[in-house]
Amino acid sequence: MRYLDGEMTEAERTGFEKHLEDCDQCRRALEEMRALRCLTGSVAMKDPTDRFWEDYWKSVYRRIERKTAWIMIVIGAVMLLVYEMSRFVRFFGEITVEKTAAVILGVGFALLLVSVIRERAHQYKTDRYKDIQR
Amino acid sequence: MYSRMKMMDAEAGISKDVLIAWKKGNVRAFEMIVKNNMRMAYSIALGLVGNPDDAKDLSQEAFIAAHHARKSFDVKKPFFPWFYRILKNRCINFILGKRRRREISLDVLVEREDHGAAPDRLVMKQENREALWRALQSLSPEHREIITLREFHDMPYREIAAVLSISEGTVMSRLYYARRALLKALRRDGAVHGLEGDE
Ligand SMILES: [Zn+2]
Repeated sequence: MRYLDGEMTEAERTGFEKHLEDCDQCRRALEEMRALRCLTGSVAMKDPTDRFWEDYWKSVYRRIERKTAWIMIVIGAVMLLVYEMSRFVRFFGEITVEKTAAVILGVGFALLLVSVIRERAHQYKTDRYKDIQR
Repeated sequence: MYSRMKMMDAEAGISKDVLIAWKKGNVRAFEMIVKNNMRMAYSIALGLVGNPDDAKDLSQEAFIAAHHARKSFDVKKPFFPWFYRILKNRCINFILGKRRRREISLDVLVEREDHGAAPDRLVMKQENREALWRALQSLSPEHREIITLREFHDMPYREIAAVLSISEGTVMSRLYYARRALLKALRRDGAVHGLEGDE
């Protein structure tokens, strides 16, 4: 393996070549591997176009920007909601365990809603993308 | 020709200052990092998932995930091995999960441009290239990645060991088994001549 990949030192090479002279097994194994290397060495992965690479970073940047925007929207919405709900509860008298539970429940539902909307939006995005690819 | 580009060349343009700036959230620094590593990221992802569109998506997502996880990056270490763990996770989850929406693309391998150096070799037919790609895609992810790094990037063992965070000894033995598996897959396919062997 190292012999084939040029990873042996000069001394190791000489030693190995000497061993090859009287070891059928190693010689046969080497021949096979050499044939395979010849095959894999004659091809390369297709190089995408310059356009592909120009778009690459722009697309990464856009997605980072959008993700940040989303996070800010969600945080803002949740804060506003919590504030409004606590005001609502306070308006109807002093804080009780029951009311606190109601607030927590409300926030939980709101979060769930936001999460579902996000998932839908994501699905929509990938579905649309799929159509374009075809 | 990017496919033969060495990994160290990719890292060469990135100084520690850039990595530090990026960690603080500098987007320009991140742009430099992405542009220096995108070709490598894309082609390893392609080796793993088999389809150019998926490879582009997954490598981009990995860069985005890396950007959000930059606080856990150690600037004293090279970027690519750290990033590669994120990329590999995504590719493997993708392969195992049902998100896979496109088939393996067969039109990925091309004749090497510098191949003229060995005129005695047969020019490889398109169907043989497809057979090779199919055989590669039938291997385990670990075998696929090591073949991609070694054969399509001409990476020395030392660099492969760094990227995969394994020892050079493991590189050697894994490469051996990967090549044996590839040979076996090619024989099973029967499409590539000259590899029939005499087992
Ligand atoms: Zn022997």
